[in-house]
Amino acid sequence: MGVSLAKRAIALACVLAAGIAVPTPLVAQTAVTPTPSEIPRLANGRPDFSGIWQTLSEADYDLEPHAGRRDAPPGLGVVTGGTIPYLPAARAQREANFAARENDDPRLKCHVLGVPRGVYYPAPFQVFQRDQDLTLIHQFGNQVRTIRTNGSDHPEETNREFWLGDSRGTWDGDTLVVDITDFGPENWLDRSGNYHSEQLHVVERWQFIDGDTIAYSATLEDPQVYSEPWTINVLLNRRRDPGLRLIEDYCFTLTYEDNYPHRGGN
Amino acid sequence: MFARSTALALLLCTAPALAQQPGGPPPPAGNRWETEFPAIEEAAWSGSRLSDGQPDIAGYWSNTVSNHSNFTDPQAGPPGEPSDTAGLPRGQRAPSRVSDPANGEIPYLPAARALQARFAANFANPVENEFIEPLARCAPAGVPKSFMWHGYEIRQYPGQVVLLFDSGWRIIHLETTDHLADQIKLWNGDSVGHWEGNTLHVSVRNNNGKALFGRYGDFMSENATVQERYVFNPDGSRFNYHATFTDPTVYSQPWTATIPARRYTAADEPDGWHFDVSAVNRAGATEYEHTERICHENNGPFGGGAVGVPSNDPVINR
Repeated sequence: MGVSLAKRAIALACVLAAGIAVPTPLVAQTAVTPTPSEIPRLANGRPDFSGIWQTLSEADYDLEPHAGRRDAPPGLGVVTGGTIPYLPAARAQREANFAARENDDPRLKCHVLGVPRGVYYPAPFQVFQRDQDLTLIHQFGNQVRTIRTNGSDHPEETNREFWLGDSRGTWDGDTLVVDITDFGPENWLDRSGNYHSEQLHVVERWQFIDGDTIAYSATLEDPQVYSEPWTINVLLNRRRDPGLRLIEDYCFTLTYEDNYPHRGGN
Repeated sequence: MFARSTALALLLCTAPALAQQPGGPPPPAGNRWETEFPAIEEAAWSGSRLSDGQPDIAGYWSNTVSNHSNFTDPQAGPPGEPSDTAGLPRGQRAPSRVSDPANGEIPYLPAARALQARFAANFANPVENEFIEPLARCAPAGVPKSFMWHGYEIRQYPGQVVLLFDSGWRIIHLETTDHLADQIKLWNGDSVGHWEGNTLHVSVRNNNGKALFGRYGDFMSENATVQERYVFNPDGSRFNYHATFTDPTVYSQPWTATIPARRYTAADEPDGWHFDVSAVNRAGATEYEHTERICHENNGPFGGGAVGVPSNDPVINR
């Protein structure tokens, strides 16, 4: 990401302004490289991602380009190249998921959304950062992810199928690069039934483009589902509402609302 | 968390020293429960500090007395399942967690006492949904039960203290005294606090009153306010948790609970309960890290045989 991308974005804007058809699929892109002084930093000099973040994108409705429909606003899509490179059988499964999305989306049961979905689900999450780790507390459900930046590798024990995977971070200059492995097979990537298997491997890149905006990308590799790795790009915006704090949203408990002990006893 | 297969294996497993799932058997002997614990006076803090001046108490912690089976006779076991020591003279078990009043009893109003007693009487054979302990459905344990279950981790940041439990999280805000609007009721409440010497003072409001304090059905209502004091000893190896509950709709007077905790470090052996960690995978590393553990009802049917566990219908419409 850098000058070339910025030039591309400007060129794209000119093309759009001129009303000329674009030759490649138009997807959300990030466009600006920050000056280093704009980046909040920890005492150790690393970029400081602490704060409450949320995407403004429509990514959670459908990662791929889509017109508006009953259950989703329109979206340009956030997949590089526009389309997720499913293997044929997996594309059929995605279509089946899409048809059953009103009941089968794990979000509807407030399940842990996983990675990367939790990041672009349209609810705030808070990042807490120390030298040795970043802690991501998502308001939705019960999702707390630790990204270790202490030089450690993934555990030797594998196939534990974590809901959030196992996250290990390193720094590429001012970009946080996170390698995530050992997922379960039950998460979806959005409300439209895009999905992965337990063979998913994700590489995230977190980079400030200004002090209040993170360019987030996630490259997904899953030989059981995709023909090649593919990449999601979304922006994460700092929530600056005065006095804002996370409000726990353990919505999986709502099912029992009328059945908790002592209700009505006061 | 754990993979679902592992969680299921744990559910079916009764071997000692493995993590207890809600609704499962009481922890066996071998969890090193103390029958007494030292008092810690509120005093100045002489230990290390973070950059914002907070006493540095980050790390892994767990209670030293017992789990949530029994609030006022912590080592006597849950209703209908007396522990091996339940028949011994009372003085040979840990004291009631009710440190004030001196009789060790929660000062319930009569109607509230009746609710608590009704739950206790039905706990062992819960024929109605309302007799299911919420934790059995992986609901957050809330205040104060979170401090009586598995071990937990404290992480500190400028202006904030974060508590990470197996059944939820709390963020204690140190730079404000404002609480959320009263209409917002939460499993873990809303926490604002400040440090005075070795003591973290926290005001907890916005409680939803659903979590219970344990298997005897002890409780507060959504009208309760809680004033917590976490008093750390000089070397940072222990703290005593004190929580004063005020709720005129449930109690005849404010009362105080005390729960002792100790720190776990790399010098301790992981035990899957108090210190549920695995070795960091890095050459030369001697530290441990907690592994994801997400209670299973959160992500699928579970409940230790709980009745009324719903099927696959959507829970939300948003």
